[in-house]
Amino acid sequence: MYVKDIMQTEVISVKRGTTLTQLLNMFKSFHSFPKVPVIDNDGILLGVVHIRSFFEIFQPHNQDLLMRNPLSMISREPADIFNIDIEDGMGFLVIVADIMDTKVVKVNQNADLKKAYDLMQLHNRDSIPVVDDQKKLVGIISVFDIVMKIFKEKGLV
Amino acid sequence: MNALLGISLILLLGLLSGKIAEKVRTPAITAYLIIGILIGPFSLGFVPESIIAASGLISNFALSFIAFSIGQSFSRGLFHQIGKQVLWISILAAFGAGVFVVVAMRVMGLPLYVALLFGSIATATAPAALIMIIRQYKAKGRFTEILMGVVAIDDAWGLIVFSVCLAFARKIHFNHADSVFQVMLSAFWEIGGSFVLGGIIGWMFSKFSRHIRNERDLLIYTVGTILFTAGLAIHFHLSVLLGCMVLSATIVNVHKESFRFFEVLQTVDWPVYLIFFVLAGANLEINLLVEIGAIGAVYVIVRILGKCLGTYFGAVISNAGSDVKRYMGIAQMPQAGVALGMALIAKSTFPEWGAMIFTTIAATTIIYEIIGPIFVKIALHKANQIPGD
Amino acid sequence: MNIILGMGIILVFGLLSGKLAEKVKTPAITAYLLLGIVFGPFALGIISEHIIAVSGTISHIALSLIAFSIGQNFSGKIFRQVGNQVMWISILEAVGAWLITLVGLLFFKVPLYMALIFGAIAAASAPAAIIMVVREYKARGQFVDILMGVVALDDAWGLIIFSLSLAISKAMYLDLSSSIGNVLMGAIIEISGSFLVGGVLGVILSRIGLFLKNQTDLLIWTIGVIFVATGISLHFHFSVLLTSMFLAAVVVNLNNESFKFFDILNHIDWPIYLIFFVLAGASLEIDLLGKIGVIGIVYMIFRIVGKFAGTYLGAHIAKSDDDVKKYLSLGLLPQAGVALGMALIAKEQFPQAGNIIFTTVAATTVVYEIIGPFFVKLALHKTNQIHN
Repeated sequence: MYVKDIMQTEVISVKRGTTLTQLLNMFKSFHSFPKVPVIDNDGILLGVVHIRSFFEIFQPHNQDLLMRNPLSMISREPADIFNIDIEDGMGFLVIVADIMDTKVVKVNQNADLKKAYDLMQLHNRDSIPVVDDQKKLVGIISVFDIVMKIFKEKGLV
Repeated sequence: MNALLGISLILLLGLLSGKIAEKVRTPAITAYLIIGILIGPFSLGFVPESIIAASGLISNFALSFIAFSIGQSFSRGLFHQIGKQVLWISILAAFGAGVFVVVAMRVMGLPLYVALLFGSIATATAPAALIMIIRQYKAKGRFTEILMGVVAIDDAWGLIVFSVCLAFARKIHFNHADSVFQVMLSAFWEIGGSFVLGGIIGWMFSKFSRHIRNERDLLIYTVGTILFTAGLAIHFHLSVLLGCMVLSATIVNVHKESFRFFEVLQTVDWPVYLIFFVLAGANLEINLLVEIGAIGAVYVIVRILGKCLGTYFGAVISNAGSDVKRYMGIAQMPQAGVALGMALIAKSTFPEWGAMIFTTIAATTIIYEIIGPIFVKIALHKANQIPGD
Repeated sequence: MNIILGMGIILVFGLLSGKLAEKVKTPAITAYLLLGIVFGPFALGIISEHIIAVSGTISHIALSLIAFSIGQNFSGKIFRQVGNQVMWISILEAVGAWLITLVGLLFFKVPLYMALIFGAIAAASAPAAIIMVVREYKARGQFVDILMGVVALDDAWGLIIFSLSLAISKAMYLDLSSSIGNVLMGAIIEISGSFLVGGVLGVILSRIGLFLKNQTDLLIWTIGVIFVATGISLHFHFSVLLTSMFLAAVVVNLNNESFKFFDILNHIDWPIYLIFFVLAGASLEIDLLGKIGVIGIVYMIFRIVGKFAGTYLGAHIAKSDDDVKKYLSLGLLPQAGVALGMALIAKEQFPQAGNIIFTTVAATTVVYEIIGPFFVKLALHKTNQIHN
């Protein structure tokens, strides 16, 4: 059984240039913000946007570099999220490329299911994007898909 | 070799041996111990002197974490459900093992006081080994809960029984004047003191924990408190195991969101356990195995028979399930540090037979430590506690 | 007092002092250092000899973890991300602080091997204080972005400069009469040894890391390999810092998902750093404080001059704004963790001079951490990075 056999192929993805307002509008009716893959014009996976990414808006650029120095002692969230000044025009000035997480764990669609599962375990992720040999986004696979597949085999569904 | 190279050698070989053990379906702890024996001073001698010297420190460190994680299963709700079974089984299993071994040792022709010492040492089990196996196989269920409870309480019984037997032995052998009452008092001081220590710190821990807001502080706070408790227990000659168990049992019952204190240790603690067990293996005097003799062999077999029978009756009296009746006895097979500690006291108290007692216990520990985990795994497996197996 | 109790007390009180420091807007490291002094043999004496005895191992562990984390900045991707300005400024301000402090101290008759070390330590800056100020005033803008990048990278350059300087001054110190050739030879062996160990182990860490399946194994594997690297370089007297840093650099450039090796360390590292800094404070020899007057002041002043000159030159080459040219160096003054770590290594290497270096750096750290934030604030004001 391979990843491509059970992955979800209908993935909502965004482009690097998608603005903050567009992004918020796309997901305002979701009951929580999902993990959204970011692709370029050729469909190549560049990163993901997740709920933590929104905190990046309030951080200076290059702060992620400082996070790598363990002695900088910063927590990811700004100290006081309820008291943040947001300037006019931020909704279309900030784009996905500014806030996306490039630390992305992905799996090839021809990989074994076990491999995908192990990757998710190793990186402590519930779902990861699936790419083809050209690194183009083709789907997303989650632990739930794997659980579902096992339950189907056992005749529970 | 410097200390860091030694630690890294232990970590990497431990990791590798754990992987191999996984392939041959053996608990990782057995692999760690064997690696320890192989690289320890009694065979290849790869472990640097400085680390062997620090093994006492590392074992107290690891034991305090292990005890802390055992204690979390003593929530009030659970105790209502299984408290009766745990009490009966632990008492009768300890009693069974003790009586069986005393009788057998008398039959083997040992003096009464030596038999008493062997009998009281036989009550001890190894909570650390059990918790490792339960963690590794993610065992879950009623059987596991009762087992955890039994090995945890076991420690308290073992302590009482041993100190009383030690007093009797001294009375018989040296005609010593210290009364049984006094001895009981000091055993209760040790147990009671550990409870008070763990209880007070646990309560304070829960009260102050609302000031902890991020993962980093949480880790420091939890680790710091565990070490603080263990350190005070050592300082006042109390039991590190009991103190840390009561600490987490208190936290579980006082604090509603206590799970986060245990979760924060999840990934962190395994390397500590790994080093602990490899070092435990390195400290096993493997050359003693040849001196195990008839007495050692009898001890190994009779102790486990007594445990099984005691457990069986305990389970019958407390209406435990048939799995518990059948398999919980062998799950109490591992025996390690606690027994060795008792044997060491016996050795220093009785010059005549003490050395022989220590050698025998040290040798049988090797067998129990290496074979025990395999039986525990079988017991858990038979009782259907291992998911996906 | 037994070691376990000592560690427990250090952790609990360290946490408490960190919280207090937060209230008075000081970085936690300063609080740990002061706590160490209070606990140390010169005051309460809570930290016993047992604990001081294991402090060598703890500081090697802490330093190798710090160097490993900082080493991940050495990737092509990062260099492209930060851009020209940050690269030029960070390199030149680090070298500038080193060179000018070195020359300044030589002028005041400090022996060359000591001045080399002081200079190298001068290159380091401290992210914590800077970030606290930036956060407090919600400062934003291009100047802040550049400042962040420079602070992130200058510790990395600082570690390299320090390792090279240490190699040279060790060779000089061991044999004062030796020729320049011998000194250089010793230094080259030390450095290339570190590169070799770090490189080989980096490849192994990365390759075998592909087979790992869960977080526990990943943690054991990562710290296991870091300890091997550190252990080997200690054994052969290579540079612990360079080895770990190069190990990280190799991993980052070999493996697309290398962040897993660094992220997993976040689970365990902070208690180690806390203990490390408290013990650093405890090993401070208070009675030396009185004797460092001149050296301390010279060191502080020349470091500031060096940072300013280096930044100015770097900004000039990279064609930065006038704001950056004039004020960026003000943001680089705070100094703490990395500098203390370097000073501790020096203390271990040079019994006599090392103590003076360590005491000076510890004292100036406290001063820099107190006055540093004011200068950061000033720089942010002058460059209009603080809104409202």
